[in-house]
Amino acid sequence: MPCFDRLSERLLCAGIAPRHVRRYTRELSDHFDDLVREEIQDDASRALAETKALSRLGSEDTLAAAVLAQPELRSFMARFPWAVFGLGPVAFLALSIAAALFAEMGVIQAATMWAPLLGITPGPAAAHRFTQIMLVWNTLVIYGAPLLFAWLFHWMGSRQRMPQAWIVTGVAIVCVVGAFQNMSFYDTGCKGCGYLGVESAFLPPFPHAVEGLARAAFNLVIAGGFWWLAIRRKEASAMMLSRTAT
Amino acid sequence: MANPSFMNGVPELLILRTLEPGEMYGYELVQAIGVRTNQAIRIGEGVVYPALHALESSGMLKSRRKLVNGRTRVYYALTRKGEKHLAGLVQHWQHITGAIGLAIGGTAYALL
Repeated sequence: MPCFDRLSERLLCAGIAPRHVRRYTRELSDHFDDLVREEIQDDASRALAETKALSRLGSEDTLAAAVLAQPELRSFMARFPWAVFGLGPVAFLALSIAAALFAEMGVIQAATMWAPLLGITPGPAAAHRFTQIMLVWNTLVIYGAPLLFAWLFHWMGSRQRMPQAWIVTGVAIVCVVGAFQNMSFYDTGCKGCGYLGVESAFLPPFPHAVEGLARAAFNLVIAGGFWWLAIRRKEASAMMLSRTAT
Repeated sequence: MANPSFMNGVPELLILRTLEPGEMYGYELVQAIGVRTNQAIRIGEGVVYPALHALESSGMLKSRRKLVNGRTRVYYALTRKGEKHLAGLVQHWQHITGAIGLAIGGTAYALL
């Protein structure tokens, strides 16, 4: 069975979308099996059949050139890295905050509607409990989303074998911009006294700017730590592979 | 024939024409092209797949996975858009081959 790992790496580095690369190598493997079977039926030995099948399939250069000649097989990320790693983090953060806000509004409406049916008496105690729950949710969103997106951009970029500079740019933008956004909610228990809002420390009057800086540093340290661990793991597995090979 | 400049558009034409009667998977398609062209056009068999993927991306072909003898195969079939495109390609290539035929005939007359 031929190994198409080198061909895969070559195509991914050239910007071919991972799904096309995966499908191509799978189809090549199937085709190779069919060719071997055909050659064996024509009385060739297994070794000869495999050699002939490989030659009929085409050299690695030929196979790579055939894919690279089809520009539509390149991924969006490879064609527009500035959009993915420059605008993508900002768009993802904005969408996540909007989605979290709408979800929160839905929960507030549902709670208002269902609380009496569940036997919860409206008042300061219930409002305090609800505020605590929302605080956990908001903390998860504003602290978790940037880190989650940082991981996502790292994963997407590594999968497409993008230059490290683009991945670092995307991760840094999401870590820094995400750190300067804030969501807050409180409810005192009286009707019309609650507050639900989104603030950006990038906009005047720059609320929580110092906290934003600290959070940005925290995000970068966490993302950097995970990156370092990922590199170490990759190096370790490469070393294991080379040891197994020898 | 293996001259790349003369092969431009030929794989596309051959693939679409061969898939016209019905769906096929890659290996089957390559064998069918070989039979249709009397083995006159030889290409690395693996290079048919990028052409198939590109044709699928542009909406000329559609694909589906099918389990055959315990193996999953990707079958390709012509779409309505592909049929129309094929009709145009056939007309274009008939024009070209007609012109080349005339040119060759002209040379033959000159030699005689």
